[in-house]
Amino acid sequence: MNWFEQLFARCQMYGALSEEIHTHLSEKVEELVASGVPRKEAEYQAKREFGNVTLIEERSREVWMWPRLESILADIKFALRQLRKSPGFTVAAVLTLTLGIGINTAVFSVVHHILLEPLPFPQPSQLQAVWARSDAQGSPRIAASGPDFLDYQDQSRSFSHIAAVLPHFTFTWTGEGEPRLVKCTAITEDFFSVLGIRPYMGRLYTAREYATLENDTILVSYGFWKNQLGGDPHVLGRVIHLQNDPTTIVGVLPPLPDLFPETDVWPEHNTRPSWEFSKWRANKFLTVIGRLKDGVTPAMAQGELTGILRRASGEPPDVQVQLTPLKDDLVGSVRTQLRIIMFSVALVLIVACVNVAALLLARAARRSGEMALRLCLGAAHKRVRQQLVVEGFVLTLLACSPGIFVAWLALHFLPYARGLDFPRLEGVCLNGTALLVTGAVAAVTTLFFGWAPSLMFSALNLASSMRTGRTDTGKSHQRSFSGLVIAEIACSVVLCICAGLLLHSYWRLQHVDLGFEPNRMLKAYLRTNYYTPEGHGFWRDVLQGIATLPGVRAAALADCKPGQGAEIATLVFSDRPNDPNHAPPAQGCWMSSDFFRVSGTPLMQGRFFAPGDDADSAPVVIVNEQAARKYWPGENPIGKKISINYTGPGRTSKSATRMREIVGVVRGMKYGPLELPIEPAVYMPYLQDETSHDMATMSLFVRSVGDPTTLESSIRVRIHAVAPDQPIDDMQTMQDIVSRSMAPRRYSLSLLGAFAALALLLSAIGIYGIVSYTTLQRSREFGIRIAVGATRGSVMSHIFRRGLVLTASGAILGVGMALLLTRILAQLLFDVSPLDPLSFASAVVLLALISIAACLLPAWRASHLDPIRALRSE
Amino acid sequence: MPSAKKTAHRDLFPGALEMMILQSLRRQPMHGYALVQHIKQQSNDLLQVEEGSLYPALQRMLKESLVKAEWEISATNRRVRTYRITPAGIKHLQREVSRFEQMLDGIALVLSPAKP
Repeated sequence: MNWFEQLFARCQMYGALSEEIHTHLSEKVEELVASGVPRKEAEYQAKREFGNVTLIEERSREVWMWPRLESILADIKFALRQLRKSPGFTVAAVLTLTLGIGINTAVFSVVHHILLEPLPFPQPSQLQAVWARSDAQGSPRIAASGPDFLDYQDQSRSFSHIAAVLPHFTFTWTGEGEPRLVKCTAITEDFFSVLGIRPYMGRLYTAREYATLENDTILVSYGFWKNQLGGDPHVLGRVIHLQNDPTTIVGVLPPLPDLFPETDVWPEHNTRPSWEFSKWRANKFLTVIGRLKDGVTPAMAQGELTGILRRASGEPPDVQVQLTPLKDDLVGSVRTQLRIIMFSVALVLIVACVNVAALLLARAARRSGEMALRLCLGAAHKRVRQQLVVEGFVLTLLACSPGIFVAWLALHFLPYARGLDFPRLEGVCLNGTALLVTGAVAAVTTLFFGWAPSLMFSALNLASSMRTGRTDTGKSHQRSFSGLVIAEIACSVVLCICAGLLLHSYWRLQHVDLGFEPNRMLKAYLRTNYYTPEGHGFWRDVLQGIATLPGVRAAALADCKPGQGAEIATLVFSDRPNDPNHAPPAQGCWMSSDFFRVSGTPLMQGRFFAPGDDADSAPVVIVNEQAARKYWPGENPIGKKISINYTGPGRTSKSATRMREIVGVVRGMKYGPLELPIEPAVYMPYLQDETSHDMATMSLFVRSVGDPTTLESSIRVRIHAVAPDQPIDDMQTMQDIVSRSMAPRRYSLSLLGAFAALALLLSAIGIYGIVSYTTLQRSREFGIRIAVGATRGSVMSHIFRRGLVLTASGAILGVGMALLLTRILAQLLFDVSPLDPLSFASAVVLLALISIAACLLPAWRASHLDPIRALRSE
Repeated sequence: MPSAKKTAHRDLFPGALEMMILQSLRRQPMHGYALVQHIKQQSNDLLQVEEGSLYPALQRMLKESLVKAEWEISATNRRVRTYRITPAGIKHLQREVSRFEQMLDGIALVLSPAKP
């Protein structure tokens, strides 16, 4: 009989079997009765001698089936039926797991892509970024100057290819509609060999093109070709005007989502011959990347390059070259952030699993009568455990596909998250590894779910359960139940403390003194070719045109950007010996006379610039209070003389710099990230600029009377009235700039906050679950208590005490864990200690409040128990 | 099928019950109850066979076509399912019996006192 026929013949066979056994028994009874045994006695004896009818029937049937498989199928069917019967429980459990699994998969996909996936280049482990560091100068990450790079290139034997990159500058694209800025990343000859990439279309630069400064060809990025040039298939040979020069497109690069993804065009950076600014040893602005030769370790290359750099003149003696794998270099800044997110999301998953386990346990406790009955009827413990594991598995399975959907949704909307400037974010997708990890997590949770309730039943006292008919499963499972809830609370406390620390940092940061007034202030980036004395007329006209606009209080120019950055200059003092090797640094900024009135920076001493501070008058400088404190401690800096030396990219001091008189001291302004301290800074009138520069730019700042965004179009009109080809870029309010600089922090905070809130909610459900469950179990006891005179208040406080004991144990455990763990958060904190008592205390208080809220309903229910009913129902 | 082996362990020893059933059926076709009675009598009640354990064994043999079953009317005028041994069953029985005897001989040799 083949298996197919078996399948159909089965029902018949089972019928025959039952009948057969039935006949057997009745035959036996007849015979016993005939031999004089009373009928009742005969029936018992027949059954006793036959054995367990159900079990034997089942075993006989099993001969015809795949018993393991079919029992699992039956369990699945049963589990589904059970779940359908209690929709509240099912929805709660599935939703919890869905969120847990979904969020974990999404976050792991991001982390995997950004931190773990190798760069999409051949032998990515050979790719290294080269930085120098000098601890004496306090500079952990020094770029290379043109001469440094040439030294590396000529003398090093460690690399098969080495290249320099000059990112983050712009060209003006004119001749096609409104003038636009295109973002450039300049590269030296070996760049494409280092990465091992080929053009998507056309060709790369030729050796001849790298060797001439007057190059009229350009490579464009894939994104620029697709979005700005319309994906034109005949783009090769097309001429566009960059910096007013006709430039021919000779190639389109493949998509490079990991390296400078915002780049529009890739001009070549010449090393021989090179631009003037590229010849200064101290002008460190190049990012160097290289591909190590086979068999060369980063340590060997590091030693070699350090030797090369130390031979150059003017380098600090402790200078050290450091190689970082290119991938780590690209993602370095977000590593901690991502790890913390991953860690907190894992905590959420644990809380979710614990919560579902607790829910299952509570349900299992209610079913202990059923379980006891099954065990008494001869079910093996293994069989009962199988059923529980299958139930857990069904639950996980139900949550898995919506979980994957949640993950997909989260990743789908990730690119739309404004201000989330993670590197390598492009191309993040649900990947196989993440799904595998989710699968593994799901499997573990399943085992956990099956295992937790089955622990309880192994300790079940069958005789007493059957006798009393009560679902008394003893103290042991209540203890494991409480253990689960305590673990859950502990995890929530850790998350709440972390979120609290971030929130506190965020609050501190929001109330940090910026040194300028970001409200009603507008900034626009004006890249020009007018930044020379001949161009001063342009700036004067622009400023005049805008200052007279209605709604404008004042307008000014500056080459530094508050909240974003400034160039570094070095100071030379007239009143003390100067060591050229250890020139004190300061942030330098050239500006028009009204700048501080626009920025709202308070004057501490002396005077602001006046329109009279121009090219013909005595050179002057204003310093910030940090510079005054650092370089003239206890002295009045007004009237002192200093000169300002420039070594920044694209700008240098022409011959001897002039001594300038300090005429004012202003409050310090935040330039870079808000969490960094304010550095010494100096401010000079741009009309007195004696430096030479190839790539300097100015930004326009406008203080408005009302909403600054309403001025945008009229400002554009005024600027284009002076110079029709002037590109206007990055026009935004200072408020936006400040808030954008806090965006990553806001993301960490809102993510962690959301996770903490989720964990809190789950814990509240957990506490509610256990308290109401135990209250239900003890309703008879409470009934008696009330009957013999306990007040409602005392019953309530009894229940609250139980909830609070749980919460307190969880909180103590959580605080202990947090004390050990929050140190890893330190990098993300601002002005807040990782052991900040405020965050710790508020997390605990919050949890206490929530647990009281969770106990409220069960306590109220118990205290309003009708004693008669409670006693009768037993 | 692994389960068939597993349930066999619940017999006296693997295959013993099957052998006794086949041997009894070889003498004459019988239904379940008669088989139990027969085995009990033949063994002088020495073997305490749980009556029910007969049925899984019978199902197993049915499946392996060692026996076949038909509904008949018994001597006591009941509708009973009578089992008959098949040629395959006879072959199986002979093989099992000779294997059993060999095993018994082996055990006897080991257990017998050493010869002087």
